[in-house]
Amino acid sequence: MGERRLVKDLNIKKVIVEKGVSGQEFAQQILRRLPDIPVQTIKENESKAVHDIQNMGKETLHLLPYKGEFLKPCPGTREYICCGYQILNVATNCPLDCSYCILQSYFNQPYLKTFVNLEQGVEQVLKIIDSNPDLVFRIGTGEFTDSLAIDPITRWSDWLLPLFSKRKNAVLELKTKTDNIRGLLTSKFRDRIIVSWSLNSPFIAVGEEHRAASLKKRLEAARQCQSEGFVVGFHFDPLIPHPKWKEEYTKTLELLDKYIDPKGIIWISLGSLRFMPGLKPIIRRRHPDTCVLDGEFIMGLDGKMRYFKPIRMELYSYMRKNLEKWHPDPGLYLCMESHDVWQKSMGWSPETSNGLKRYLDRRVVEIFG
Amino acid sequence: MNTQKFATADLHLIDTDRINDSPGPYGMSFGFELKPLVRSIKTVGLLNVPVLIEDGKDAKTVISGYRRIQAVKSLKWDNIPCRVIQKSESSPLECLLLNLHENLATRNLNNVEKGMVLSHLNSYLPLNEIMKDYMPLLDLPSNEEKFDLFLKIEKELDENIKIYLARGHISLQGVRMLLDMDPASRLSVFGLISNLKFNINQQIQLINYLIDISHITKASVIELLKDQPLENIRLNDNLNTPQKAKAVLRLLRTRRFPSLTEAEKTFNKMVSKLDLPERVRIDPPLFFESPDYRLEILFKEGKELREKIGRLFKMDGIEEIGNPWERGAW
Repeated sequence: MGERRLVKDLNIKKVIVEKGVSGQEFAQQILRRLPDIPVQTIKENESKAVHDIQNMGKETLHLLPYKGEFLKPCPGTREYICCGYQILNVATNCPLDCSYCILQSYFNQPYLKTFVNLEQGVEQVLKIIDSNPDLVFRIGTGEFTDSLAIDPITRWSDWLLPLFSKRKNAVLELKTKTDNIRGLLTSKFRDRIIVSWSLNSPFIAVGEEHRAASLKKRLEAARQCQSEGFVVGFHFDPLIPHPKWKEEYTKTLELLDKYIDPKGIIWISLGSLRFMPGLKPIIRRRHPDTCVLDGEFIMGLDGKMRYFKPIRMELYSYMRKNLEKWHPDPGLYLCMESHDVWQKSMGWSPETSNGLKRYLDRRVVEIFG
Repeated sequence: MNTQKFATADLHLIDTDRINDSPGPYGMSFGFELKPLVRSIKTVGLLNVPVLIEDGKDAKTVISGYRRIQAVKSLKWDNIPCRVIQKSESSPLECLLLNLHENLATRNLNNVEKGMVLSHLNSYLPLNEIMKDYMPLLDLPSNEEKFDLFLKIEKELDENIKIYLARGHISLQGVRMLLDMDPASRLSVFGLISNLKFNINQQIQLINYLIDISHITKASVIELLKDQPLENIRLNDNLNTPQKAKAVLRLLRTRRFPSLTEAEKTFNKMVSKLDLPERVRIDPPLFFESPDYRLEILFKEGKELREKIGRLFKMDGIEEIGNPWERGAW
């Protein structure tokens, strides 16, 4: 697919630029890629909360500077084991529209917000990385947005890959549900870059992951990246029990087997759906036909809703059994789970967040050296 | 706004039957108790006169003082002193703001009345001005979602539910959830709520369960409410109203959380098989989420504690306590 077509498919109808940033090189490049889109310049903080709960301003790109720390630890909680991931905050909101997405809670802060002072921000991040040579930084951009969904417009891949490829104590993970890999493939940088895909059962992918690429397209893109020398990862998160979920997840595992060589995978995470209680009415209103709220949710120790423990354990055990049949060491880990759930569904436990961090850091060293 | 024109408007003695009986376009009174005002007027007379506007016909429309006029009518007064202004002297918005500010200065508006105010304002002012200037006056957050909710309360909510809301018998959250339902389901659920007198927390639980179960089973809320087990609870003469409300919630919880309720049942069975000493209990973690179970021993002195610990130490079956789903009991 041509670059212009990719940009057009994002269906951006308007660009809002905060005064003072339109001169920045990164903003200029973005605006050049959207030549026919009307641009509105606004003052700082002038952007008003609009009541667009259905669309969340997904057709408006908002270019602004980010005032906070660009690198932040993933918001884990002490009640569950967290992997020690770090988030590089390049943007918030996402053109995809997964019914379970936590970003829906922020509907009163709409638009695809893209931070155009990324260059300065990343510079600070690199200083932190370089001044801590004994630490391994696992960094991702896919927490508050999809890493590649608007890459045809932002071309983060052009900026970030060369910078992270040079670091020996960091990896950059680009997490996506799209097949927008053109920017990656045209880059000559591969080292220290992980391209990873969120996967789900076909039932969930079709019914709940609106505007995301089909599973087949995601895995075709993953295969292409793998064959072009990228290290890949996968995230079965959120796992969602639904009618015939075992058969359905098995179909995805079969596709995975068809397209991917398990030896090149750095990790596969498993996580079950969890959400702040306030998200439920928003999901009900935005996605009245969703099945993602049908499960037996209880209040977790971190105040989030999550499936009743034996249901989670059954999900993880099933996935583990089948993934380990595929490859004995696929780098499985659980996202935000407790020691006892680890032990009973994975057969071992890292015991603590530090333990899990060490396990994943070791995977980085094993794969990248 | 010319702030003096209402205060300086001429005083007239107006026949009560010539005053429009409806709250009219400026009204913001709902669910009020008239008796104290009637008593006050009967005892000390009418202290503040209402303000009316000539509506061009014979009758006059109330701008402010709707309750006072209702009180006076109930006292069978033939006429009442009022300030009367001409239609040409004041815009509808000025009339509305007069009544709003007078009300805000003397009392708190209930949620139905806030809906009435926002609905009236919506006829005259742009949304951003209402959100910026008036929602804070009503102690409401300035957002469009809240605005829509209050507008719906005014325009879509059934009279009986409005009365419940005005009296604080149902929460705003409960009303919002009811408003998300179709009108027939809303009335059915409200019928159950008012019939069995669910408290505010129970109402939220009930509505949540019904919506969730309806989604899961693809049965309508009305069909769920006609379910025989639920009907049996309603008709059970051995239960009083609060017991019926609790039984309905238990029944729906079992349907909504089959695995969790099964685990609780199995655990309770495990514990009940133990011959625990009096005032000793074993509780599972909340929703079985934490790995830690709790043993509680109440005792008056160390001797009793030692005796109870001794009995627990020797107790058969105590090692069976644990996650029900791991005990082969399922």
